[in-house]
Amino acid sequence: MTKIKQPEMCPRCESLKPETLCHSPVKNAWIIYHCPVCFFTWRNTEPDFITDPAQYNPHFKFKPESIDTFDIMPAIPELKR
Amino acid sequence: MPFYDLKSFITELEKQGQLLTITEQVMPEPDISAAACAINKLGDKSPALLFENIYGYHHAKIAMNIHGSWPNLAIAMGIAKNTPLKQQFFEFVKRYQNYPGEVEYRNQAPWQEVIIDKDINLFEILPLFRLNHGDGGFYIDKASIVSRDITASEPAKTQNVGMYRIEVKGKDSLGIQPVPAHDIALHLQRAEEQGLDLPIALTISNDPMISTVAAMPILYDQSEYAMAAALNGEPYPVVTTELTGLDVPWGSQYVLEGYVVSRYREAEGPFGEFTGHYSGGRRMPVIKVTKVSHRKNPIYEHLYLGMPWTEIDYLMGINTCAPIYVQLKQSFPEVEAVNALYTHGLIVIVSTKSRFAGFGKAVGNRVFTIPHGLGYAKIVIVVDETVDPFNLPQVMWAISTKFNPEFDLITLPGLSILPLDPASHPPGITTKMLIDATTPYPSEQHGHFSQELKDPITTDKWVEKLSNMLNAKQ
Repeated sequence: MTKIKQPEMCPRCESLKPETLCHSPVKNAWIIYHCPVCFFTWRNTEPDFITDPAQYNPHFKFKPESIDTFDIMPAIPELKR
Repeated sequence: MPFYDLKSFITELEKQGQLLTITEQVMPEPDISAAACAINKLGDKSPALLFENIYGYHHAKIAMNIHGSWPNLAIAMGIAKNTPLKQQFFEFVKRYQNYPGEVEYRNQAPWQEVIIDKDINLFEILPLFRLNHGDGGFYIDKASIVSRDITASEPAKTQNVGMYRIEVKGKDSLGIQPVPAHDIALHLQRAEEQGLDLPIALTISNDPMISTVAAMPILYDQSEYAMAAALNGEPYPVVTTELTGLDVPWGSQYVLEGYVVSRYREAEGPFGEFTGHYSGGRRMPVIKVTKVSHRKNPIYEHLYLGMPWTEIDYLMGINTCAPIYVQLKQSFPEVEAVNALYTHGLIVIVSTKSRFAGFGKAVGNRVFTIPHGLGYAKIVIVVDETVDPFNLPQVMWAISTKFNPEFDLITLPGLSILPLDPASHPPGITTKMLIDATTPYPSEQHGHFSQELKDPITTDKWVEKLSNMLNAKQ
C-alpha cells in the first residue's frame, strides 16, 4: 500500500491540522482522523464525498464560528449552591 | 428460558434461522450500515447479522439488527417466533404487570476480564464506524447507560438505565444527548445545580431484554433491572462497579465508566435519527471515560437507524405501546389496545369502548399528558374497541368513515414535543392533533351509523374451514 497522505483540513468545517486518532490493527489498512474544532471524525477509506472537503455535502458543511450559534441542549441550570 | 448475554441470544437466533453470518470481508464504511439498512428492506421477519471479517481488524466481530424483526423480539421473550404482533403485545403487557421482578446482585462478571484505565483510546478498543453519510462522527447508539441522581437522599433508588445516542469525539471523550424529557437529563440537571460531575456507566453488547427496557418509557421511579426481571420471568443479574458504584448488567460485553463534565457543552452531531431526518448540530454535554472493562474476544453490537423502518423501530415498538396502554387503562379501563409503533409514538392509535358522548375525546386527550405523551404523542387517533389498532387498514376504514372533521378534530397549540421532531417550531414545541374516529355515542347526533355492516354469521367458521383446506393442500 502506498503511504497515506495526511489530510490538510477537516472535510466538514475546513479547519486546518486534523489529528490522527487511530491506525488500523492490520498494518496500513486505514487511518481514522479527527477535527479538534468541530469533532468531525472520518476514516481515510470512506467515499470521497466524506473525505474530500471539496466534495463534502454542502448542506452539512459549516464554518467553525457557526458553532457558537448552535442551540444548547439541555440548558445549563442555575447554580443552587 | 431468558438470555443473560448477547452470545447466548445470538446462538438461539442462529438455531431458529434468525441469524446471517457474513464471512466475506467487508469495509467498515459503507458496507456494515448498508447491509443493516438493506436487511430491513426484506420484510418484517429479517434475521440479525454477524460480521466476522472486517477490513483492517484482526478479530473484530460486529452484530447488527439483533432486535430488528418481530420474530427476533418473540425469541427474546422466549415465545414462538411467529407469534402475531397483537399477541406479542398482550404477552408483553401481561409480564410488564408482574413488575417488580427480583434483581440478583453478583460479585463478578465476565466483562471484568480485561481492564484499561490509562491511555484509553476508544477507537482502538471498539470497532467504531460511521452509520449514515451525514453523521458528524462515529456513534455508539445501542448502549444501555446507567446514572443516578447523586443529590437524592437515596441515589440508588433513582438509578436509571436508558439508551441515548453517544458520539465518540476523542480517544476518551464522548458526546451525549440527554433529551430534557428523559430521566438522565433530570440527573444531570440536579448534579449541575450543585456544580458536580455526574458519574456514568455505558454498557455495550447486552442481553436482549435490558436493551428492550432501556429503550422503553417506564416511570421515573421504576427500576429497569426489576422490569427486565419481570419481563424475563426470572431474577435479573447485575454487578456493582468498583469505580462508579453503579449497578450494570452481569452479561455486558463492554462497560465504559466515567463522568459527565459538569456545566459544559460542546458541538455534537448531526446524527441520522429515528425520525428519518438528521438532528442538526447542537452544543451538548461531554463524557470523560476513565475506565474501560470488557470480555476477551468481545462482540460489538450496533444498531442501524435511518429512514423507517429500521431496527430501532422494532426496538422501540411493543415496549412503547405497553406502558402507554397500562397508564391509559388506569384512568380508563375501557381501553382495549394501544399501537404506538410509529416513530416511537409520535402517532398513537388507541382502541376503546365508549361509555358516554365525548368519551373517545377524553381518552385521546389523556394520551397527551402521560409521561411519554408529553414528549412524543403529536397525533392521537381513537377508534372503537372493535377496530384492531395494529391493523392499519381497519384504522384507515375507521378514520375514513367515522371521522367528521367538523365534530371530531381537536388541535391543541403550544404543547411540548421532543426537539428532534423536524416539524416542531420552535424546536420542542408543536400543535398536537386528536382524531376521534369512534362511533358517536348518544347524545352526539352527527352522522348515520345505525346500519354498520357485520360479517355473515358463519364467517368465523368458514375462516377456519378454508384455512384448514389451504393448509392441507400445501
